[in-house]
Amino acid sequence: MEDKIKATMDYLRKKKVDYGDIRHQKKLIESIKVKNRNVEAISRSEDQGFGIRVVVSGAWGFAASSITTEAEMKRVANRAIQIAKASATTKKENVVLSEEEALVDQYLSFCQIDPFTVSLDKKVELLLNATQILLKSDKIKVAEGSMDFYKTEKIFCSTEGAYITQAVLESGAGIFATAVEKSEVQRRSYPNSHRGDFATRGYEFIEEMKLLENAEKVREEAIQLLSADPCPDITTTIVISGSQMALQVHESCGHPTELDRVLGTEISLAGGSFLTLDKLNKLEYGSDKVSITADATIPGGLGTFGYDDEGVKAQRVFLVKDGLFAGYLTSRETAKVLNQKSNGTMRADGWNRIPLIRMTNINLEPGEWDLDDLIADTKEGIFMDMNKSWSIDDKRLNFQFGTEIAWEIKDGKLGKVYKNPVYTGMTPEFWNSCDAVCNKKFWRVWGVPNCGKGEPMQIMHVAHGASPTRFRNIKVGVSK
Amino acid sequence: MIGKDKIISTLNDVIKKSSADQTEAVYIGGENALTRYANSIIHQNVSETNSKIYFRAISGKKIGVASTNSFEREDLKRALDNATEIAKNQRENPDFVSLPSKESYKKIETHFKQTASFSPAQRAEKVKKIFENASKYNLSVAGSFSTSESEIAVFNSLGVACYQPLTSSFINIVVMSDNSSGYSDFLTRDVTKIDVESLADVAIQKCLDSKNPKGLEPGEYDVILEPVAVANLIEWLNYIGFGSKPFQEKTSFLADRIGQKIVSDSVTMYDDGNDEKAIAFPFDLEGVPKKRVVIIQNGVAKGVVYDSLSANKDKVKSTGHALTPDFTEGAIALNLFIDAGESSKEKMIEKTERGLLVTRFHYINGYLDTRNALFTGMTRDGTFLIENGKIKHGIKNLRFTESMLKAFSNVIELSKDRKIVNSWWEDIGCIVCPSIFIKNFKFTGKTEF
Repeated sequence: MEDKIKATMDYLRKKKVDYGDIRHQKKLIESIKVKNRNVEAISRSEDQGFGIRVVVSGAWGFAASSITTEAEMKRVANRAIQIAKASATTKKENVVLSEEEALVDQYLSFCQIDPFTVSLDKKVELLLNATQILLKSDKIKVAEGSMDFYKTEKIFCSTEGAYITQAVLESGAGIFATAVEKSEVQRRSYPNSHRGDFATRGYEFIEEMKLLENAEKVREEAIQLLSADPCPDITTTIVISGSQMALQVHESCGHPTELDRVLGTEISLAGGSFLTLDKLNKLEYGSDKVSITADATIPGGLGTFGYDDEGVKAQRVFLVKDGLFAGYLTSRETAKVLNQKSNGTMRADGWNRIPLIRMTNINLEPGEWDLDDLIADTKEGIFMDMNKSWSIDDKRLNFQFGTEIAWEIKDGKLGKVYKNPVYTGMTPEFWNSCDAVCNKKFWRVWGVPNCGKGEPMQIMHVAHGASPTRFRNIKVGVSK
Repeated sequence: MIGKDKIISTLNDVIKKSSADQTEAVYIGGENALTRYANSIIHQNVSETNSKIYFRAISGKKIGVASTNSFEREDLKRALDNATEIAKNQRENPDFVSLPSKESYKKIETHFKQTASFSPAQRAEKVKKIFENASKYNLSVAGSFSTSESEIAVFNSLGVACYQPLTSSFINIVVMSDNSSGYSDFLTRDVTKIDVESLADVAIQKCLDSKNPKGLEPGEYDVILEPVAVANLIEWLNYIGFGSKPFQEKTSFLADRIGQKIVSDSVTMYDDGNDEKAIAFPFDLEGVPKKRVVIIQNGVAKGVVYDSLSANKDKVKSTGHALTPDFTEGAIALNLFIDAGESSKEKMIEKTERGLLVTRFHYINGYLDTRNALFTGMTRDGTFLIENGKIKHGIKNLRFTESMLKAFSNVIELSKDRKIVNSWWEDIGCIVCPSIFIKNFKFTGKTEF
């Protein structure tokens, strides 16, 4: 493959493109889904191909193919050039990229146990045993477990001389109990909703989850929710769990700091951003308890990699520092707008997609509180855990998020369970009401395997480090 | 395009050597191209040649699925071997009876040469017209314009051999001023039917009419939902409720309510993959011909759509709504229609004392309470206050949180005109919707723009 890629790169140079890169990617996916004592699905998928991105006449073109012959690579290169020329007919300015060093390197993600060497039987057995525990009550109508594994090998080569190979393994799993009684339906998940938790790690990550040990708690909480009171419609103090904080960071900080979105290029689908250029280093995004980083170097994070899909090295940068809005997620093209260098967040979800600015590991940095102390310090409020529903406006201001479960906090203690908890707010006002963040002991990175963006749609794997966090004067229970 | 003969003969050759009891192959491949624009320039312009071939191998009642995106024989054989090995190591699936047998399906014209050969330069030419028209009003344009040509084939060892070539094109236009926006779109198999200037006019007018929007307090308002807004809601109703899986698992709002009146008499919804007035596609991805399925008739819950596995569970026949073999969410209604009424958007506006006109919704979420179809979402790209039968002005966007069972029970009337709206499965499906007038629709929040 290396020879074919280098030959195509020579061809692009001969064609005198302003810039060109080729990404070849090979991906192996294994998915297992178990439901109600049956193995609902086991599937394996192989996918490979290449994409060529060029700047010609000052505009972008991209073409991709799953056929990896030298002749096809040449055809696709010509197609990309033809497309760029069409783009150029509407340009106002030439595409200019930030100066970056053209690197030659390789990157391998860390893994103790390659999940593709673990037998299907062992994986299925673990899921069946966990769901068996969920089904010990007839109120659980649907008991599910799933595992997903990805092995990705990438080659990136550019006309500037970069040649980078990367190999990344990802693993994820979860269990889910749906309790039904008359017209009431309630669901609990572990370790997280939306297919569980994911990491750039091997099968050891699945073993550390302790799915069997947590199944009983999942079952009992799902059943408890059937007869729980609805979350009251009040304005109160809320403490949000780490997994729900991951979603909060994702929607209200991760997406609005994507500089391509800020510059308008996602308007037609997911919208724009309230974090316009005039707000950089000026807006009090949150209280001084709030510091948010983008860190693509965290070992095992689902948003961890060696290099982005423009060949820029993985980095850690501040998006919000002590409450002040301090930075964007950038690409080579968008960084140039700010006279900066790229912070390395351009990624495509496959060989057949153009890279976009994507979240890496976007983290609410840990604070100083122990969770027990934080609850004890809260006279009245609600503790909310694990995402169930999510919606935010097209500039990422007005949001409404629902969680699977909540507990009343009264006189510093957790009390009764509430069902259908929902909270709502406006992003900067919400983050400015944050007065406490739990410390490192309660902080962990949550893998999110389903972040959607772009047309054609791209699903990216990202992650968020977070710990339980407290917010004052929040409107809850607006779902009635 | 590989062509029917080569696809079927290659899959036949591979399947003939299968050691599984029954074997199925699904081919989906072709070329997709998309031109994306924002700030009135093309900023992304892409093309992709790809295919995906799924194998489903059956050993007794055990099922294995594997796929590859290479049509080379050795890769196909490896994928089939993978599926067979998985099946052998699987547990039995009690709902499995057999892969479907051969049935005839309707001949439908789904491939249009002009769409297949539409070039990047032609797409650029069309979008430049939109930019020019918007620039006359100092407005900027964002959106995307896609064209695709593909082939879908389903082949199995029991004699199923379905093949359909298809094309598809979709354009969406968001026109923006500094404080307002307007939207229009068009979905078709035949790109020559896209009239970009008319579509641009609609989006431009909405943007101009909603300039300097005023804030409005949340509360209950009568609403006129334009077809795209209606489709945004139906898409989620479909996802959480119209398929056999949520129905059987009792999470659907239709579960235990078949035969009961659940919404207004004026509401009839059905799925019909053979109706060539929309984005028809005659068979599902198990090779079962599409059946017309009435989901709600005159307000009464009637049924859901099935694939073969879920049909066996309920001891009924598949309605032809299976997706790819690796899709685990079960049957999905891909070609939804809401029956038209007798009214029009203009008449609805005239009848409105105080209410809102909604162009489309943004970021709907339907997981809040699926049994009651409780949804939340935002308005966007043109929301207007109507007073005394006239549009007064644009308003800043609002958040709704509302049960769709309540909303569709409060339908006052539907328009005679219907629009084909794209859905999550735009190449093989759509939602055909009228405008709908609904009383007391609940808005629970507001935003700054």
